[in-house]
Amino acid sequence: MNWRNVKLILAREVRDQLRDRRTLFMIAVLPMLLYPLLGMSFMQVSQFFQAHPTRVLVVGGEELAARDESPQLFDTEGANFDPALFASEDDPSLVKLTFADAADLLPDQDVAGSPSAKELADAARTRMRDKKFDAVIYFPAGFAGELTAFRDELKNRVANPPEDRPRQGESSQDERAEGGEKSPDAEEKKAGIPNPVIYYNTAREASQIARSRIEGVIYRWTTKVGEQNLIDSDVPKSAARPFSLQSNDVAEAGRREAATWAKILPFVLMIWALTGAFYPAVDLCAGEKERGTLETLLCSPAQRSEIVVGKLLTVMAFSMATAVLNLASMGLTGAIVLSSLPQLGEMMHLGMPPAEAVFWLAVALPPVSALFGALAVALAAFARSTKEGQYYLMPLILVTMPLMILPMQPSMELTLGTSLIPVTGLMLLLRELLTSNYAVAATFAAPVVGVTLTGCFFAIRWAIDQFNSESVLFRESERLDLGLWLRHLRADRHATPTAAMAIACGVLILMIRFFTGLAISLPETTNGLIVLQAVTLIAFVAAPALIMTSVLTRSPRRTLLLNFPAWQAIPAVILLAISIHPLATVLQQLLAWLYPLDTVKLKFVVDRYGEIPFVWMVLVLAILPAVCEEFAYRGFVLSGLREMGHPWRAIILSSAFFGITHALIVQQSIAAGILGVLLGYTAVRSGSLLCPILFHAIHNSLLFALMKFGEQWSQSDGLASWLLVQTGDDSFAYRLPVVVAAALTSVAAILWFRKSTRQVASGAAEPRVEVANERSAAVVAERERIAT
Amino acid sequence: MIHVEQLTKTYADLRRGQIVALDGLSFDAWEGQIYGLLGPNGAGKTTALRILSTLLKPTSGSATVNGFDVVRQSSDIRRQIGFVSANTAVYDRMTAWEMVEYFGRLNGIERDELRDRMERLFERLQMNEIRDLLGAKMSTGMKQKVSIARALVHDPPVLIFDEATSGLDVLVARALLGIVAQLREQGKCILFSTHIMREAERLCDRVAIMFHGHILAEGTLGELRDEHDEDDLEELFFQLISKHEIEHRVAGEERLEV
Repeated sequence: MNWRNVKLILAREVRDQLRDRRTLFMIAVLPMLLYPLLGMSFMQVSQFFQAHPTRVLVVGGEELAARDESPQLFDTEGANFDPALFASEDDPSLVKLTFADAADLLPDQDVAGSPSAKELADAARTRMRDKKFDAVIYFPAGFAGELTAFRDELKNRVANPPEDRPRQGESSQDERAEGGEKSPDAEEKKAGIPNPVIYYNTAREASQIARSRIEGVIYRWTTKVGEQNLIDSDVPKSAARPFSLQSNDVAEAGRREAATWAKILPFVLMIWALTGAFYPAVDLCAGEKERGTLETLLCSPAQRSEIVVGKLLTVMAFSMATAVLNLASMGLTGAIVLSSLPQLGEMMHLGMPPAEAVFWLAVALPPVSALFGALAVALAAFARSTKEGQYYLMPLILVTMPLMILPMQPSMELTLGTSLIPVTGLMLLLRELLTSNYAVAATFAAPVVGVTLTGCFFAIRWAIDQFNSESVLFRESERLDLGLWLRHLRADRHATPTAAMAIACGVLILMIRFFTGLAISLPETTNGLIVLQAVTLIAFVAAPALIMTSVLTRSPRRTLLLNFPAWQAIPAVILLAISIHPLATVLQQLLAWLYPLDTVKLKFVVDRYGEIPFVWMVLVLAILPAVCEEFAYRGFVLSGLREMGHPWRAIILSSAFFGITHALIVQQSIAAGILGVLLGYTAVRSGSLLCPILFHAIHNSLLFALMKFGEQWSQSDGLASWLLVQTGDDSFAYRLPVVVAAALTSVAAILWFRKSTRQVASGAAEPRVEVANERSAAVVAERERIAT
Repeated sequence: MIHVEQLTKTYADLRRGQIVALDGLSFDAWEGQIYGLLGPNGAGKTTALRILSTLLKPTSGSATVNGFDVVRQSSDIRRQIGFVSANTAVYDRMTAWEMVEYFGRLNGIERDELRDRMERLFERLQMNEIRDLLGAKMSTGMKQKVSIARALVHDPPVLIFDEATSGLDVLVARALLGIVAQLREQGKCILFSTHIMREAERLCDRVAIMFHGHILAEGTLGELRDEHDEDDLEELFFQLISKHEIEHRVAGEERLEV
């Protein structure tokens, strides 16, 4: 890599982007306008709500206004609510009352009769419809009178205490049962004072504000009436609320603000780093392709990797600039809005972000930009035009967004498990740093940095691969013709499937299993469970792979590796399957510790499957899955992916598919993915599907044997108890020396397997040569036909 | 200078299946010579020239330019050639001067030397009035001049022009042919692909008539005329192509019957 060329390309691309008005607008102008505009409109809206007058129609309020008993609901003139009843920040003059009596509201109604709730609501809606009123408050006929009567009765009771009232603790159940007439006041209260009603319309903002204002006023008035009632009953005012709960936030100054910012800032950083990377990437890759300048650049002496790195650095620079400008503009606007609306800041626990936040965000930004930049460059390089490139933004966001949303969940904490999730781990680490939890951050910094850098590395590799691929660089627009394409799939099929077919097969099985999993519930009976398991494997795993093999390939034997391995490979693989089992249980325990299991779900699954008799278990949970899944994953999928050229990449990708389909329990899918790599290795190395089938069957058998007989074995006196130790209710582990011995045996078994398959492995390169030969043979045949 | 041997290029195409773009192409071209590749659209000219300028990799066969191998020494080859094609456009948001300077620097020319060289080049190609004009504002002819300056800035021994006159008006095309002829005088080896017979007649020392990825006839204009007993190159071209076309169709029909 010639860094001089990289620098030249970087300088040119940056200048090019800066001369592009669209890019400048997206990166610099938009953030500088967006946040001040948002801030301004927010302030205006809140001021509007604060200053908006509320017009209320008070129905049946005259009686109440005429009543001269304290506390009063209305002021002395009877034009508005008593100013003392308003909350401190509310301006009483903003509420305008209009009085009406029930006859006004319901002109058709006989005044004496009491209107139904529906009639009232309809009438209130009619009065609010023309927006003359924001709310209607209705005091039922006789409300004021009942209120006065109730108080008079309380006063009366103080003056002449009833003698027959039972004292506290004396009343027994019998007394209460027969003494229905002894406590008439309780019943009287129930039927006594009718409730006032407020009518409002949630579909209108102004009406909602009116409601909250009136409710506040009425609540305070009710409290005062209650207090006055207590005083009149000769009970101290404090009887209703003898004490109140005091709340005291012990968060250190700044920490509370930091906690809120720690959630917001990493998210904003990620979003803008992604957006800021994407648009320049599309212009620099797909745009250059479209404008025809990419070919000019490619025939200059600059290497493709230099071109990619130069473009990537440009994209990173713009991604970082976008994120920085957005954060700065947001911070500035936030500061201005908060200083003019201090109560808002208190409410949302917001203040100025702490200064060290800026430092940590600056540290995190370059790797984030590198990761998103490389992904964007690779996608944009694949696109034929800027239009096509912009279509790819959505899928990219759909993939990354869940990773960004995940850390916003309240229960998410930085643990070893979460630190291994790309993007999510980084956001959680940032949150810990922003809240100054340096000890936690330091513990998990290494895995987060490791995962992020690995992600960057693979994204950059992918981008360079895209630039090295002729079919990507010189893609031509083709009209999509479904019929033609299907005929092409069938007519021009090769001996083994293509990588795209392999991926399609993996996705197909995944989707079938997902939807059937949703549609079919676990059967009640054990027999039903066995049948379901068998049908699922044969119909939804093996069948798609076998059908695709017969339709889309010319050599099922080579696709499904239907060969016999070297005979020594068979004992080697059996030994490996047995010796790997203790290591697999260790792995499962490790995973359960990393990502704690949903024990209820696990117990349910273990119990249900545990009911199956062992023979059936071996048949439908070990041998059948071994055959069906190996046909699909080590057969069709792996053979297809090997077309890409890298056997390990193919093995890892096919294992990823294998793992994801085991998503009944998430932890299981990780273990299966890792095991899949070993299965893939045995398949590729031996060139025979028999090896992974044997391995898989033995592995599953041992797993279920341990599940079923673990307890029995660990308590027996035999060999098994020497091997096993019980670690939990249903879990058993091998003793440490056994694990160590198993590890050594596994290494030996792998070496033996390697040795026994050497001949086959050297011949395994053969299919690729054959493919090449096949193509040139087709060329020769064609030429001959032309010649004749 | 340029040595091409049994070059084959195939790629998959959805519509037509496996496409054989080049089918055992072989030819040699020398310095001080303009070698013309003639052929209808889709004959494989662009594919061959793209392989020579290392944009594509051959499926089989070999090619060397000035002694460098197109597959193993691709970076060296790109220093040896100046490539101008209908697909090598000019940057919209760069001026003529910046564009040529950029490619000069990518070719590793030092700043001072580059400036002198560019001054001479701009003088020679009469480009001084478009020096500070952005690519987006240029006419097709101006753009083509910038492309030529870009291809010449590192003074390569080999120049490849792929349908370089397509889309140009008569005056500009004529000027371009003049420049190409001048370059021959300087002893450059020039590969010139076109489907316009007049250009080939005026310019080329040797021509190869290409069709369906291989050469139907090759030689100096005189040799071709003698061999096929036809004075008019366009007529000669047409006869060769139609004869081959019929053979091709017959072969295709036989294939269908089988």
